[in-house]
Amino acid sequence: MSSSTGLPSSGVGGGGGNGDGGWVQPFPSKTSVQTLGKRIQKEMLELNADPPAGCSAGPKGDNLFHWVSTMIGPQGSPYEGGIFFLDIVFPQNYPFRPPQVTFKTRIFHCNVDSTGNLNLDILKDGWSPALTISNVLLTIKAIITNPDPYKPLVSSIACLYLTDRAKHDEIAAEWTMRFAR
Amino acid sequence: MAGAEAGEAMDSSSPSASSGGDGTLMDDFSNSLFQCCVCLDLLYKPIVLACGHISCFWCVHKAMHGLRASHCAICRQPYNHFPSICELLHFLLLKLEPAAYKRREKEVLEEEKRLDVYSPQFVDHLISERVHSGEIEKNDRLKANKREASKELTFQENRLENGICKQISMKDILCFLCKELLYQPVVLNCGHVFCESCLSSVVGDPLKCQVCQSLHPGEFPNICLDLDHFLEEQFPREYVMRRENVLLRKVQHRHGDLSSSVSHTDKQSTKSSCHVPEDDQWLTEDLSNVHVGVGCDSCGMYPIIGKRYKCKDCREAIGFDLCEACYNTSSKLPGRFNQQHTPDHKFELDDTQLLYRILMLRAMPEEDPQQDVAEADLPDDDQQDHANHDDVPEGNQNEDQFL
Repeated sequence: MSSSTGLPSSGVGGGGGNGDGGWVQPFPSKTSVQTLGKRIQKEMLELNADPPAGCSAGPKGDNLFHWVSTMIGPQGSPYEGGIFFLDIVFPQNYPFRPPQVTFKTRIFHCNVDSTGNLNLDILKDGWSPALTISNVLLTIKAIITNPDPYKPLVSSIACLYLTDRAKHDEIAAEWTMRFAR
Repeated sequence: MAGAEAGEAMDSSSPSASSGGDGTLMDDFSNSLFQCCVCLDLLYKPIVLACGHISCFWCVHKAMHGLRASHCAICRQPYNHFPSICELLHFLLLKLEPAAYKRREKEVLEEEKRLDVYSPQFVDHLISERVHSGEIEKNDRLKANKREASKELTFQENRLENGICKQISMKDILCFLCKELLYQPVVLNCGHVFCESCLSSVVGDPLKCQVCQSLHPGEFPNICLDLDHFLEEQFPREYVMRRENVLLRKVQHRHGDLSSSVSHTDKQSTKSSCHVPEDDQWLTEDLSNVHVGVGCDSCGMYPIIGKRYKCKDCREAIGFDLCEACYNTSSKLPGRFNQQHTPDHKFELDDTQLLYRILMLRAMPEEDPQQDVAEADLPDDDQQDHANHDDVPEGNQNEDQFL
């Protein structure tokens, strides 16, 4: 047997010239959207039925692979009172590859850079196909409350967080007021 | 499936709108123990990993890493071999949730046809195996016919009245060794199920399956807790009896000859320690002799490390490959993807997917004269060199995915 992760590879058999080109496709056909999208649909149902506190998520328009999520700034954190929008893009071979999650709302946080990229282990090497969006949202919520200054994306914020926590919280609250309301 | 329908299913948040699957988004199976953690659907052709967690055949295979050791989706325990489907569970699920299982079968087959890669089909395999193990085939056939006939009528009633107990008989969940109800089942790499206590009494290292004689790579497997809970739920009385028996035997064993008998925990620890070098090897060894995304069709090693033997006669696109050890023991197993491999097929050494080769081809442009030298060194025929060139972008793609 020989195949790449995700989709069976074409080259190994020496062929790759399969008529319908069903091997490595940039976009799967309708039927596979159904099988691929099924897991996402299931997650959607579960998320609607039992969403993590302060979070919501759902497809953006009619594209099942592109979701928007909102997260309410956790109480007791400098982000309290803010509403943060997140963009979730599912890869075609989800759940075998992690979803891409980015902040659409600006946030003063050492693990989120100015373009909204998140530094989260489970969205990279730590991903497991058994994780769901619900898990991901909970993890993001946890890291908003408790930033990890030792794996920063923005080192200046991490520095501030470690040296002058009060000042950090002040700026974070200010940004929340400015951008997340 | 029409595009309109698919779109409808997508943007609607109500489950009933998925016209294609008759509301299959709602779980049409009752036992949540048998939900695959990856596809969140009913397990189909279940595979039990050495850590005891169950997943579907394709869910395991797609989640495996083509370059390094793979990790269980749930507990992240590393493993290097693609296990075979657990037939016992397969037929148990078919009995337990016939409607949902058939639906899964249909869906998966559709997908397999699209990709032209098939998972093992095992109706024949099972019958032949049963004959082999001395069971009476006729009896089985009769039973199957009867079951088929009565299923439609009785299934719904049974389910309503007293759960699913009537559908499953003890016969479906016996240990291959003690021929009693499975108690704390463990599943080997070959997919055969035993009681933990029975298997731990089997001597030999590496562990060898007592049914198919194939070796079990890696450590002593963990108990498959989902199956164990199911057994406890379904057969509470028998389960308690089995537990008492096993405990009693253990106690007797301990009292009998403390000096000579190896207690279970000891055995486990020796087993694991025996395999530590192997695990280390996977961690520290340089990856140059890894065949990216190629697995052994006999033992399931994925990716193959060391020599790779490729069948020259198998026509399936997925190919049939063996690792060096399996090539030397002339395996009689069918392919992992239903390849029609027969013993008279010829093998050849193949290094087209070797990591160092992919890296080398990638590093050097096609016109580079040095490349010809490099290729001339390798025992390939012309045809294969053509295949190689085809492979280059594919290999690079893989590369990018993995790194």
